Amino acid sequence: MSGSSPSDDGSPDGRRGLVGSLLLRPVAQLDRVIAVIERVILSYAILLMFLNTIGNVIGRYIFGQSLYFSEELNQFLIVMVTFVGVGYATRRGRHIRMSAFYDQLKDKHRKILMVLIALGTGLVMFWLSWLAAQYVMSVAASAKVTPALRVPLYLTYLWVPFGLFLTGIQYMLTVVRNLTEPAVYISYEEVDAYEEIDTTTAGAGEDRS
Amino acid sequence: MTAVMLTVMVVLLVLGFPMMIPLIAATLLAFVAFFPMMPMENIIQQMIGGVKPTALIAVPMFIFAADIVTKGQTADRLLDLVMRFVGHVKGGLAVTAAATCALFGAVSGSTQATVVAIGGPMRPKMLQAGYKDSFVMALTVNASDIAFLIPPSIGMIIYGVISGTSIAELFIAGIGPGLMILVMFSAYSIWFAYRNNIPVQPKSDWLERLQAIKRAIWPLGFPVIIIGGIYGGIFSPTEAAAVSVAYALILEVLVFREVSLREIPDIALSTGLITAGVFILVAAGQAFSWVISFAMIPQAIIGGLGLDGAGPVMTLVAISIAFFIGCMFVDPIVVILVLVPIFKPLVTAAGLDPVLVGTIITLQVAIGSATPPFGCDIFTAIAIFRRPYFEVIRGTPPFIFMLLLSSALLITFPQIALFLRDLAFR
Repeated sequence: MSGSSPSDDGSPDGRRGLVGSLLLRPVAQLDRVIAVIERVILSYAILLMFLNTIGNVIGRYIFGQSLYFSEELNQFLIVMVTFVGVGYATRRGRHIRMSAFYDQLKDKHRKILMVLIALGTGLVMFWLSWLAAQYVMSVAASAKVTPALRVPLYLTYLWVPFGLFLTGIQYMLTVVRNLTEPAVYISYEEVDAYEEIDTTTAGAGEDRS
Repeated sequence: MTAVMLTVMVVLLVLGFPMMIPLIAATLLAFVAFFPMMPMENIIQQMIGGVKPTALIAVPMFIFAADIVTKGQTADRLLDLVMRFVGHVKGGLAVTAAATCALFGAVSGSTQATVVAIGGPMRPKMLQAGYKDSFVMALTVNASDIAFLIPPSIGMIIYGVISGTSIAELFIAGIGPGLMILVMFSAYSIWFAYRNNIPVQPKSDWLERLQAIKRAIWPLGFPVIIIGGIYGGIFSPTEAAAVSVAYALILEVLVFREVSLREIPDIALSTGLITAGVFILVAAGQAFSWVISFAMIPQAIIGGLGLDGAGPVMTLVAISIAFFIGCMFVDPIVVILVLVPIFKPLVTAAGLDPVLVGTIITLQVAIGSATPPFGCDIFTAIAIFRRPYFEVIRGTPPFIFMLLLSSALLITFPQIALFLRDLAFR
């Protein structure tokens, strides 16, 4: 899939002009760093989830003792996967959507609709991220700790406002990309093109951009 | 207000917004309209709470196992096994395809993975043998949906969590209807082969069959672990899912050596990506469900549809129709997340067994996913087979008829689903 993504995000190719290259280059570089972090978090959270669950089974049947923190660790990991992953799924243009109507449109109209969708979705994400920040602060104020590991509860929720905020940023970058490039972009990185639909659930191999 | 909410949801959906947005937008709207005095952070609290149940961990684990297995040899070996036994019967190739879909469903639980893993290798073989392409594609798409019913089933896990139903019981209850559909599809395949005079495949001798069994013995461990482990009360479904990941790793990395250890983090990343796409919907769905049940919206909708005080059969028919239509247009998980809370009061009032309801819902989800205009498996098939939309759907009507017949049978004879459940748990 990486064939569709421009190899150099910051290339000043005239179309984008001075403002674009000055503004977008640092953003694009930061964005690439964030993408790597997201990938590492998603991948290792899933592996850890597996080790934790299987460890609990082994502990119970072989050593006669369950891992006392197993459930709590899994809860932490799934919250992390969900809210860090939203941003990553946005980046990869992989959110489930019904595109039947959209597909009927001409490229020009598609682009307009895509800008609207990305703008609207991005704003909702920013709003949710704001609400999430307030929620995390209220949890922090309540000084709750998790039952088994006694970790402050709000620390396990930090991913939520961050993840939603980064998702909002991804949608805003999608808007910018669509306004500065001729093709229709489904995300900042991915051109909207049909022949590239990833059909296997195991689409991991194509994930090196 | 309910009408405004529904309209907003439909408009956002049709325009092509990511599916989390219609759910979130309806939630925000309902919240502002019904509970203006309550802090809005409650929505976030619900979203986080929505992904936390331990039972849901089974979803990424089963996806992970499926991702590993799809990269390896499991599907080929299962195919070969079934082929050796039924390939020589009239329509044997088609029966093989259908049966392997069911068998692979017992390994992976993902219909899309099943379309890829079985449809990929079987279609050229069947075309060569003289089957019509429209039949082949329709069979693949519809038989893959048996994977929804055969445990593990991701739809069932999500239904179980949001309706508070035992996932273990749902898994066991799905087996009966899954097999019933397999029998129907096989019968139709045989009839189709006779009618079109499709030549039979050479018969395998017992030595070849023995070898095929030997090759497939490892993959056949999956249903033993998952169904046996849950049936025998050894594992919870979540644990069974993790054990099947371990088993998939042992199989593909150590035994078949088809997947290298270095690929595992990449596979996990793909699993994480799919998981996040599903779980943000689950999170939004939880917030949605909480707000609408708090605002008594389900009761209003049920009343508006004239379903107040509906009896069990009427309720099941209404549920079937709603889910069938929903899944024709929208992703099954979204339909489950939206409709289950709406129908919940009706199910409770009619005194229905939630396991039966879950099985019927899963069946409808399976049917809807393979039904035009927008069943999601049709689009998987378009992408894999690289054939235009109308060719892919041309052969579907007989299959949809059979599936609707099986819905009617299941509603009339709930024992098709509940027999095994009662045997195991009662």
